[in-house]
Amino acid sequence: MTGVFESPKTRVNASMLPQNVSKAVCFVGRVDRVHPTGKSFTLLDGDEKMASVELHEPLDEELSGIVEVIGMVSNKGTIMASAYNAFREEKGIAFDLQLYNEALKIIHDFPQYYPFEVTTSN
Amino acid sequence: MTVKLSEGAIEAFAKGNDVNNPVLQLVNIRKIDGGSGPARYRVMMSDGLHTMSSFMLSTQLNPLAEQDQLAPNSVCLIKRSVTNVLKDGRRVVVILDVDVVKTANEMTGKIGEPTPYVEGQSKAPQTTTTPAPTVRPLQPQNGKDGSVSRGFGRDFGKKTVTAPSTPGGSSKVVPIASLNPYQSKWTIRARVTNKSGIRTWSNSRGDGKLFSMEIVDESGEIRVTGFNQEVDKFYSLIEQGKVYYISKGTLKIANKQYTSLKNDYEMTLNGESTIIPCEDSQDVPMLQCDFVSIADLEARDKDAIVDVIGVCKSAEDVTRITTKNSREVSKRNIQLMDMSGRVIQVTMWGAEAENFDATGQPILAIKGAKLSDFGGRSLSTLFSSTVMINPDMPEAYKLKGWYDKEGHALDGQSMTEMRGGGGGGSTNWKTLADIKNEHLGHGDKADYFTCIGTIVYLRKENCLYQACPSKDCNKKVVDQHNGMYRCEKCDREFPDFKYRLMLSANVADFGDNQWVTCFQDTAEVVLGQNSTYLGQLKDSNEAAFDEVFQNANFNTFVFRNRVKLETFNDESRIKVTVVEAKPVDHKEYSKRLIMNIRKLAAQ
Repeated sequence: MTGVFESPKTRVNASMLPQNVSKAVCFVGRVDRVHPTGKSFTLLDGDEKMASVELHEPLDEELSGIVEVIGMVSNKGTIMASAYNAFREEKGIAFDLQLYNEALKIIHDFPQYYPFEVTTSN
Repeated sequence: MTVKLSEGAIEAFAKGNDVNNPVLQLVNIRKIDGGSGPARYRVMMSDGLHTMSSFMLSTQLNPLAEQDQLAPNSVCLIKRSVTNVLKDGRRVVVILDVDVVKTANEMTGKIGEPTPYVEGQSKAPQTTTTPAPTVRPLQPQNGKDGSVSRGFGRDFGKKTVTAPSTPGGSSKVVPIASLNPYQSKWTIRARVTNKSGIRTWSNSRGDGKLFSMEIVDESGEIRVTGFNQEVDKFYSLIEQGKVYYISKGTLKIANKQYTSLKNDYEMTLNGESTIIPCEDSQDVPMLQCDFVSIADLEARDKDAIVDVIGVCKSAEDVTRITTKNSREVSKRNIQLMDMSGRVIQVTMWGAEAENFDATGQPILAIKGAKLSDFGGRSLSTLFSSTVMINPDMPEAYKLKGWYDKEGHALDGQSMTEMRGGGGGGSTNWKTLADIKNEHLGHGDKADYFTCIGTIVYLRKENCLYQACPSKDCNKKVVDQHNGMYRCEKCDREFPDFKYRLMLSANVADFGDNQWVTCFQDTAEVVLGQNSTYLGQLKDSNEAAFDEVFQNANFNTFVFRNRVKLETFNDESRIKVTVVEAKPVDHKEYSKRLIMNIRKLAAQ
């Protein structure tokens, strides 16, 4: 299996995680709770549904706001994060998670027009 | 043929006492032409003992007189009346409701031998021996406003003395329907359903200000206007929707040009007027609206005045426009949707437009909006319209419930701008390919459309010109080559000029591209620099000037454009002028795209 960074990463929300077990995904959500160990945290997507993120290394910074996580979906439906990136507010414009979620649904509802799916490129 | 008249009732009326449903015989009826406005009828009544001539019919009873139902000798049961005391103390009884018990034909003539009632004759007059014991209890012998020196004229024209005094010290509350110009002592209790802004005027006779409001009680409605001092005194006190006691206004015939209220009179506040808030207002009716479904507006006539209620789906920004008589006003267009799933554009004006806040998609109820056929069907508020935001009425809650549940997902079909790009002023989204495919601008009038476009080329040459420096004149000046610049329009020479922009740009979207012209303001937006600075750069630093144009490339804007087919030297070409250029609101844009995708998918 190729590494997370080489393979295409499907953008998903929490309800799409079960269909993507063992696949690389990209998840954007609002930080809900950070585990005291700093090794995991939970994100809420635009539907206010929760997803758990597990890290290899404990966080070395305080995490809040909108975060994009790239990782593999585990059997339990958690995301084993390879990388994360906190979105900063740009020019005072807040990231609209609901709107992002609507866009996600469009991508998944009409995959023929959004060919971002993994098409086993050997 | 026995009819018993309420003997003693006339005396009671004359003394200002309440008389319960008296039966009186009509002696004489006379029409008074009141100049403008409807005719009024003055009636002389008899109770068999006395006659009194100062009865007036309220105007809604005029048909009774006109159809000769009320004629001399007919006997009437007066079901509702109001006694008004004129400034000089005379009393006028306004008959509000009456039943004709016996018509004149059914009567053989006058009952009894009544004599004109004269003040002080508290006992039965000499001409008749019939006492009137039955109605005695109606006449308190020792009331505050007893019979002592109560002046009562038998004729309107005849002035009598004695100072007026209000029975009981304060006027009792009367219904709005009973108000008329012949009374001055009254108090009404009414709800303010519409309060205008303050308007000022200035003409050869001076200047001033005024405001008006519409008030309603269970009997009817009336328009109230206050001028100058009354504006200062009352304007801030009055809140729309609240109930007030109002007394001592001046009544006059309503000018129907300014009001659509169902009342023959209107009220002007004067120096003696009082307005007192009333806390207990439960029973006073709220504004009565007759809401029309937005979908049904199509069938209504142009210029109809309608009441609508809807969710404010979106609102445009306030814009300033100059009216025909060169007055500058603010206007704002909003999109209103109701349970019919249809949307209509409503234009609000003035302070209402400036202060309107569309956040949270409020429910808007508008009473008395004007229907126009502008851009298909649209609505416009008038000075007399009432706009209520999130009003406390069942229709509003029902609508809110519907909108939260299903309405928000609907992309309502708009009644406005249904006929293509009819210059409706509101957003008429097109792609650049649509301009050619739909032959925009080929009609008699220019078409307006809005597109998202990216600058792919800017023509740097001749984008700046030297313009007349005087204010509001942007005419190109001619360099006299002696340090002076001549403006033909102003017919003057100036030592300087100002730089103005006229920029040709090539704009592209995913499907096509289009040459457009940007003038001063829009060109400054596109270039991100003001024309004065650009002029300096052009003259002093060619490289920096070029850089401005380089940096402006590949920026994306929302363009509102005017498109028109123009013919030069037998050659016709589409000319597109940018009316407005603004940065893309990505959120708004994304929402629109998502909505369009869903709509396309549903087809």
